[in-house]
Amino acid sequence: MLDNKISFTLNGKMVEFIGDPLRRLIDTLREDFNLIGVKEGCGEGECGACSVIKDGKLVTSCIIPMGAVNGADIWTIEGIRETELGKIIIEAFADGGAVQCGFCIPGMVLASYVLLKDKENPSELEIREAISGNICRCTGYDLIVESIRLADERRRNA
Amino acid sequence: MNCYIPENLTEALEIRKKTHAVPMAGGTDLMVQAKKGIGINPAFKTPIMIISYLSELKGIKVEDDGTLVIGSLATSSEIADDERVFYPIRKAASLMGAVSLRNTATIGGNIANASPKGDLPQPLILLDAELVLSSIDRERMIKVDDFIIGAKKTVLQDDEIIKEVRIKPVKATHYFYHKIGTRKANAISKLSLSILADVEDGILKDFRASSGASGDKVKRSRDAEMILIGKPISEIASHIDEFTSAWDRILSPHAMPQYRRESTRRMLSDFLIKLSEGAEPGIYE
Repeated sequence: MLDNKISFTLNGKMVEFIGDPLRRLIDTLREDFNLIGVKEGCGEGECGACSVIKDGKLVTSCIIPMGAVNGADIWTIEGIRETELGKIIIEAFADGGAVQCGFCIPGMVLASYVLLKDKENPSELEIREAISGNICRCTGYDLIVESIRLADERRRNA
Repeated sequence: MNCYIPENLTEALEIRKKTHAVPMAGGTDLMVQAKKGIGINPAFKTPIMIISYLSELKGIKVEDDGTLVIGSLATSSEIADDERVFYPIRKAASLMGAVSLRNTATIGGNIANASPKGDLPQPLILLDAELVLSSIDRERMIKVDDFIIGAKKTVLQDDEIIKEVRIKPVKATHYFYHKIGTRKANAISKLSLSILADVEDGILKDFRASSGASGDKVKRSRDAEMILIGKPISEIASHIDEFTSAWDRILSPHAMPQYRRESTRRMLSDFLIKLSEGAEPGIYE
């Protein structure tokens, strides 16, 4: 049986958490690791502001207990922004005017990253599906969708 | 101690028997129910057992006789992406919540949570799916329809864990699945319906329907289905009223009952009209 020591990879580095295994991943990331790009919106796994990438898949960190991340590979916006594809997406978001208040954007970038890392030239529907769990109350989504397309174009022409 | 993290099924079943800790799979329901606030650890009323590491409960496989076996920890994404999974289950899984929820939520959790609005029990009950419930002392099989006995109520014993879902192949020529939600993504079912029909030589050999979010649990009636089973396609049209009225009597929607009853009746009769007009085998939505 595992005890209260949880080891996992965070943005490419091995880290350890010791504490209540029911503590939420989002609280550990923000408060213990100071990764405040992870935002809390609804706290119920619905809005996507707290999105992180766990073992290559997009998940909401507000409903994941620390006890479930032993051995996991976790990436937050702080790690993804240092990757080549991450940089391309973030630049495209800036150039495309995808950002207004910015609260949903870390989650949007991670959702875009998960989509684009496996897929070149996604259709508009695929883009919209990929970000369908990330709620933005400012933009109406169109500029975000166009920016993801721009990131894909730049990545393919790079 | 209030949280256990077993690394294999035997260990989990021993803990379950000794402490009655509630199994937590993806946590998409339990973590939300126990939420306390930002920076505050969730508070659970019972001990919890995180079962994420039990490899015995993972994966999807097909046995030699065609039986589909879905491990209780299979996520909605895994189910939606696996073409061996029978259509209505795959479709329902693909429409659950949004991407990140589907990557986390499990079939075992969706069944154990037993919400009348839960997406997976409805098609599972259509297909007579069975569960394997494991405890340290025994293993038993039970139909999903018998396992869920009401809203948020199941017959899971306090020493048992849902190990897997088993579905025998069903002969069908026509499938229908429809979920009514308020949005395309992130929608909780307002109403859902699936139908299966098997037409052979102009005879309706099998007919089943399953209604979600229309009562305290998924509604199905073999008695109502028998009204249509065995009838020639040419006679179906004349039995639509009798069937939809019988079906209506088993529904018990608590909110907006008229809307839910009327929508169900229309979906059923539209499908039956198509069938009676000789609809091609296939999938209808």
